Parts: sequence; C-alpha cells; structure tokens
Amino acid sequence: MSKKCLVIILVLFLGFVALGCPKKTVMREEPSASQSAADQERARLEAEQALREKEAREREEAAKKAQSEFEKSLVAKKYPGIEGEVLESSLLKDVYFDFDRYDIRSQDAEVLKQNAALLTKYPNVKIQVEGHCDERGTQEYNLALGERRANSAKRYLASLGIPSDRVSIISYGEERPFDPAQTEDAWAKNRRAHFVILSK
Amino acid sequence: MKKKILPLIFLIIFSLTSWSEARVYLDINSPSFVQIPIVLPKWKAVEKTPSNVVEKIYETVSNDLTLSGFFKVITYPTLPPTLQRKEGIPGSVVLQEWTAGGGEILLAGEVSAHSDPLDISVTFHLFDLVEEKHLVGKQYEGSVQLIRHMAHRIADEVVLQVTGERGVHTTKVAYVVAQGQSKEITTADFDGANIRPITQNQSINISPAWTPDGKKIAFTSYLKRNPDLYLIDLDGKGLQRFSYSPGLNASPSWAPGGKEIALMMGMDGKSEIALIDADGKNPKKLTQSHGNEASPSWSPDGKRIAFVSDRSGPPQIYVMGRDGSNVRRLTFEGNYNTSPAWSPKGDQIAFCGRVGGRFEVFVIRPDGTGLQRLTSNSGHNEKPSWTPDGRYIAFSSTRTGGSKIFIMNSNGFNPRPLTTSRGGELSPAISRRFD
Repeated sequence: MSKKCLVIILVLFLGFVALGCPKKTVMREEPSASQSAADQERARLEAEQALREKEAREREEAAKKAQSEFEKSLVAKKYPGIEGEVLESSLLKDVYFDFDRYDIRSQDAEVLKQNAALLTKYPNVKIQVEGHCDERGTQEYNLALGERRANSAKRYLASLGIPSDRVSIISYGEERPFDPAQTEDAWAKNRRAHFVILSK
Repeated sequence: MKKKILPLIFLIIFSLTSWSEARVYLDINSPSFVQIPIVLPKWKAVEKTPSNVVEKIYETVSNDLTLSGFFKVITYPTLPPTLQRKEGIPGSVVLQEWTAGGGEILLAGEVSAHSDPLDISVTFHLFDLVEEKHLVGKQYEGSVQLIRHMAHRIADEVVLQVTGERGVHTTKVAYVVAQGQSKEITTADFDGANIRPITQNQSINISPAWTPDGKKIAFTSYLKRNPDLYLIDLDGKGLQRFSYSPGLNASPSWAPGGKEIALMMGMDGKSEIALIDADGKNPKKLTQSHGNEASPSWSPDGKRIAFVSDRSGPPQIYVMGRDGSNVRRLTFEGNYNTSPAWSPKGDQIAFCGRVGGRFEVFVIRPDGTGLQRLTSNSGHNEKPSWTPDGRYIAFSSTRTGGSKIFIMNSNGFNPRPLTTSRGGELSPAISRRFD
C-alpha cells in the first residue's frame, strides 16, 4: 500500500520535471540580440569597476602601510635645556660635509632627493635642518659654518620643490656631536645636516 | 654687587709722590723686563681684629702681586728670622732694617675692626727701600665681606705706583663651563677665586660678553630652540632675550660708548656681521660677500671692526669700517685664523690661528704687520680676550689636559691657569675694572 503510493508520487514528480525542463531550456536558447550586447557591456563595466575598486583598496592599503611605516619611524626627541620636543624619522637621512665645506656632495644629493620625496608625500610635515660641525674648528666660526650647511640642505630641498616655509634651519655649530670620539671617523659623522620634524 | 661696593670708601692719607715721579716704570711686556722684589712684612691685626681677616687680606694681596707678573713677592715666612715676626706697621716702618729681606719695595699694612665687628678699615703704605722714600698710603673702610675687594684695590694701587697704570685685579672673567651636554656661563674674579654659576638651565649657553658697564653678561643660548642673544645680571637673575631673529644671534661686541652692538646674525641663508641698537632692535647688515662672517670685535676708537670671513677660502681675519666699507684682509699666513680681539689700546689684534693642527694665540697690528705667535706647542689655545689695560690676554687652553682658562702677559710670557678646575672651561671674557 505504502509502496504503491510512493511509486505514484515519484511518477507524478518525474512527469512534472520532464514536462517543465524543456520549457526553460527553450527560453534560454532564444534571447534577443540587443539584450545580449547590453548584458556584456554591463558585465565589462562591473568588472572594470571591481578592478578599480581593488586597485584603490590596494593603493589605500599601501598608503596606510607607508603612513604607518612613516608613523612607526618617528621617535620623539627632547634636547636638555631646549624648549619643546621634535620628532626624528629614520626615513629622513642625514647628509654629510667635507672638512670646512658646506656644499652638498654628489653622493648626498640622492639622499636629499629621497628626503624630498618623503616630504612631498607628507605635505603637512614641517622640518628643521640642523647644521653641525666637528669639534676641530673654533666655536664661533663653526656656528657660521653650521648655519651655512643647514641652509645648503634647505636650498637643495627647495630646488626639489619643498617650499621654504616648511623648512627652518638651526646651527648647532660643534655643540651637539653625533659621535664625541676624537677620530677622523667620528668627525666625518659629525659634519652633517640632520633633519628633525617640528610638526606633522 | 654695586650696593655692596658703595659703602667702601678710601682716604688718601698721604702721598708724597705722584706716579709720574715714581722711581720705577715697568713695562711688563718689554723683553728686558725683570721682576721687582717686593717685601711684604706681616700685617698687624689692630686690637681685637680677627687674625684670619688680616691673613685673608695679606694672602690675597700677595697672590695678586704675584699674578700681576711685575713682582717677585717676598712674604714674611721667607724673611730672615729677625724680620719674620716683625710687623711692618704703617707709619712706623724703619726702612733700613728691611733691606736685609732683599726687597726693593715694601708694602706694609694693618687692619682694624671697628666696634661693629662687620666693619673694618685697612691701611697700607708703600715704600721704596732703595731710595728710602714713601710712595703712597691709603685707607679703605668697609664691610668685612669686602676684604677680597679691598685687597684687589690695594694690589691695583701698588701696580699703579710701580708701572704708571692701575692693575686689573678688580676685573672678573666670564667663561663657559661644559657639563655633559650642557654649557653654562660662570664668572670668577681675576685671581680665580669667587667662582659663581650665572646660568643653570642645562641648555647650550655660549660666547659670553660683558656689557660695557659690567652690570650684565650677554651670551647666546638655545633655550628656545634658536641661538638667541640674552642678557643676564651677575646674580643670575633678570634673564632677558635680547636679539632673536630666526637663525644666528651670536658673538656680540659693544661699540665704544655702548650705543651699538656688532654681532653675528643669520641673514639670507648665512652668517653676516650686523649692527643692532643697544636695545637689540633695528638690525643692519654690514658685510657684503658670499662668505660666512663671524666674531666681530670693535676697535677702541669705534671706527673699525675686526671680523672673520671665509670669502677667500679658509677663514681669515679682516678689518672693515663701522659702516662695512673699506674691507681689508689682515692675515695671510696660515689657513684657519679666527676669533679676533682688538686690544684696548688699539695697537694690536689678538686672534686664534691653526698651526699644524693646533690652535695658537697670535697678535698682529691692525695694519697687518708685526705678526707674533704668543703660545706654542702646548695643546689648543683659543679665544683670546684682553684685560682693560691691554697687558694680559686670557684664553682657553688644553695644555694641561681638559680645556681651562689661562691668563698670560700680552707678550705670551707667564701663562697661568685661572682656576684650579680640571677642565671644561671655554671662551673667557674679561670685564672692565670693578673699582
């Protein structure tokens, strides 16, 4: 009894399926030509949109990553007896000078270009260029030399499009050596323009 | 400071000769100069005067006379036994008995405390033992706190009698003391005593210079993250930011008369020599070159300024008119000449020159002749500063290790350290006389 019932239901169901399927297949096989072109165009636009969105997302992520890399590179620095606090970034590299000289050396021009690129990317950042000297000169002349070194770097940055109102200078003369040792190596490291961030 | 000095009065008791009639006239910087033996008998403590007060004055005077370089001082413990305990009391000195001590000049003194124990009077008399005559006698009265000052005045008076010009023992020296990363301004008396910290702010405080009246010290400090010029009182109070345009404000030199100040200023991307008014306002650029300019120093007649410029390559000493005209290069020897200091008599400019990697103090005449090296082969010797009489030059030297302030005769003789510190002292500047 129950077997008979099941067989009947199955037969009815199969019959319904057999009747319904060919109808659907026919409908798909007969689309109008204009409808097809519009669909293709829509699909292409959708794909393009998706790609654009993906690219934008990637760009944003890259920027975020760079931003966080820049943010991460920042270290607050307080000088004893000097008002306020500055930030130092390992992404802003020092440039070095020959003894008693203040011209930018060709190998340091590349460094300044990288510094300028970073500053272009972050147009709100204001920096201060510190001009430093080694200890071998006399104190007051070294103040003048440090002033000139800082300004040499500032002018180079200006030539790369960094507005001068974003760049202030300060000469520390021989007062803040990077390496206090009395060796040629230390002196070479001390004759530098160092970049600190005043605001971002 | 001034209030303390005011109560000090002195009376000329008698003065038989004026300086122009004195037997001796000494030029400390003459090559034939020989120190004059001066004998200092024990000074008398009148009645209840504390003996330590008399000893303090005696020691200070005797040390000053030695430091002056004019004298070979014979103190009483080195005298023959008969003279050792004998007090040379002013007014009752028997000159003949003192010639055995080997002196040509005799300085006798006594100190008496008044009923108020904080008030003393100091009397001294100076005698010429060779010609057996009295040269000068004076009395100073004042608070016992002023005994060092009284002693310096006595020493200056003795120098006047013997050389025709007052000594400089009442001057002070301002200088920089390096402490770790910070540099602080400090003062000391000319004999190295009475050391006082003036700034205590842990900043970079450099290049001290005295105002012409000696009441304040100017210096450059990085307190506000720019090398600004400040003024401060001698008690370390009254700090005042004085010249503070962005960039350098450093190395001030007051024009004679005090109405203008020459200084280093950052202008157009480099250091220039500029003039500002006495109130720090109205900067005017004096130098017109592509070089870096540093360290102005006025001529005592106020007509010219010596300075450093690297316009022709390495830094050299130049002289220009007060309006920046008539620029002339002064030094042609050596390739690093800086820190000019025009002598108060106007006849010489001291500077610091590099010889074989060492800094040495030189003098040259303002016409570029007469170059003379004053220090040699003993560490770095930098930043010369003249005493107001032009007879001494202070400088910093590493000859004994750490950098210390030294004072020498202006011919380079008799260098001595100012203080007994172990080092860290830089940039001396000598004041006017505080008499």
